[in-house]
Amino acid sequence: MEPKIVQESEQTGPILEVENMTVFRSGKPILRDIDLKVFKGEFVGIVGPNGSGKSTLLLSILGLLKIQKGTVRIFNRPPASIYLFGKIGWVSQAASNLPRDIKITVQELVQLGTINTRNMLRFISKERRECVERAIQMVDLQDVRTSEVGRLSGGQRQRAVIARALASDAELIILDEPLVGIDRESRNSLLKLLDNLCHEQGKTILMVSHDLAAIRQTSHRMVFLEETIRYDGDTANFPDLSELADLRGIHQVHEHKHSHSKKPRQVEE
Amino acid sequence: MGIGTTLLEFVSPFMELIAPLVPGETFPYFFTMEMFQRAMLSALLVTAVAGILGTFLLVKNLALIGDGLAHVSFGGVAIGIVLGATSPLLYALFFSIAAAILIYEMQSREILTGDASIAIFLTGMLAFGLVALRLGGGGITTDIEGYLFGNLLLIDEGSLDFITIICIISIVVLLFLRNGLLATAIDPISARVQGLPVRNIGLLFSVTTAAVVVSMVQVVGALLVTALLVTPAATAKLVGTSFKSCLLWTQFFGFFSVLVGLYLSAELNTGSGSMIALVAALIFAVVAIFTTLVRSLFNPSKNL
Repeated sequence: MEPKIVQESEQTGPILEVENMTVFRSGKPILRDIDLKVFKGEFVGIVGPNGSGKSTLLLSILGLLKIQKGTVRIFNRPPASIYLFGKIGWVSQAASNLPRDIKITVQELVQLGTINTRNMLRFISKERRECVERAIQMVDLQDVRTSEVGRLSGGQRQRAVIARALASDAELIILDEPLVGIDRESRNSLLKLLDNLCHEQGKTILMVSHDLAAIRQTSHRMVFLEETIRYDGDTANFPDLSELADLRGIHQVHEHKHSHSKKPRQVEE
Repeated sequence: MGIGTTLLEFVSPFMELIAPLVPGETFPYFFTMEMFQRAMLSALLVTAVAGILGTFLLVKNLALIGDGLAHVSFGGVAIGIVLGATSPLLYALFFSIAAAILIYEMQSREILTGDASIAIFLTGMLAFGLVALRLGGGGITTDIEGYLFGNLLLIDEGSLDFITIICIISIVVLLFLRNGLLATAIDPISARVQGLPVRNIGLLFSVTTAAVVVSMVQVVGALLVTALLVTPAATAKLVGTSFKSCLLWTQFFGFFSVLVGLYLSAELNTGSGSMIALVAALIFAVVAIFTTLVRSLFNPSKNL
């Protein structure tokens, strides 16, 4: 049943479809009138300043936050539907979000990605073991398979978390700030890994980052988010700094002879 | 005849078999006399479950919840005694489970974060129990002391059945839940994206913790529950290299603490609960010093 459903949705429309979405958190509007469509095989980078609602957008897409207005459909299903389990891989900011004091090996961590409601109570099967092995190979962590996650470098730890997402055979991979706390070299190889996943494995990738350069380097399409979507299009056409300032409604501070004590950013509502 | 006594009948021949090999003057009685056998069996059962539970508690950073729930169960025991209950542990079970669920809800709804909700229940229910005891006309009798500091010899057939049932159910629950528990503890968002019933897993874990703590109250005492719950698991974390090895090391350190603690308490004629707790803490200290020394001698340049 399930693969058929996916194929239909692939042919008929986008993998992810957000329409007219508005999200409030603690009474304040964080996201407003978001319209976003993501198609299979795309690599979409979402950028925006701190507090612009990037994480809120991801959590709403995943169905972990209630949306006040609008609709979200993933694979043509409402978020958090049981048909979606295993189809979406979530990659958190591993360098800071993984608890450090747990003794757990890379293999054990990746294995957690294969758990779902159906097999949660069972012992690990041969197929699941193979999925784990494949995921570890994809992210090139074979050598540290049995090392503790807490002893890995930031980049390796992030790879381990990506492997956990891959272990479920997820088609849509959602990453939240995967580049935080990672040195330059690991960052490049991590971006290459994501690029591979997109082009060779046919995964659809939605990545949030405040690292504009890194996103420009890899993604096909960029979304600039600040409360609402202010740019959505090809990476090649992504606006330069002054255009971006216009989009965001930021005025040149010096031209207007404002003193430095004034807030440099003024966002028009 | 309950399940505990059946289990005892099954293992007592084995215990008697190894009795001649057991050192000490008083300690061999733990393997030959029925009353002591009961004590030994319940101590070992409780240790096995406490080890598994403790490993998960440490992963979830909830080391003190055992202490909190133990105080709550003591309050429950006190109320049960005042009301003239034949088995006050059932009252303890009720209050402990209720408190565990409330603490979980308060933490997950972020009404109170961290240990604060545990602290409130700990002191509140302990105080309630003490006030109830005073108003009920009694004070701290030897019976009640047994619940505070543990008294293995107070474990009668009924208690053994109670402990055995809780331990068996808890082991089964924890074994079934282990993957889900680990996944939710490490990354709750990812667990929810995978579709795991994070809330139900958390609630079931809380209820299990509450039940296990109550089963431990007579063995080590309400004040010393944390010793068996957390200390072996913490020691295991020093030497383990994976989650699985931590689970196994916890069992090793737990059984070691209990056997050595029981031996010393029998020979030196001290309280068993306090001796077990002391041995567990000493083992932790020795292992901590040893591993730190080894690490600084062999890998002096490594940052940890």
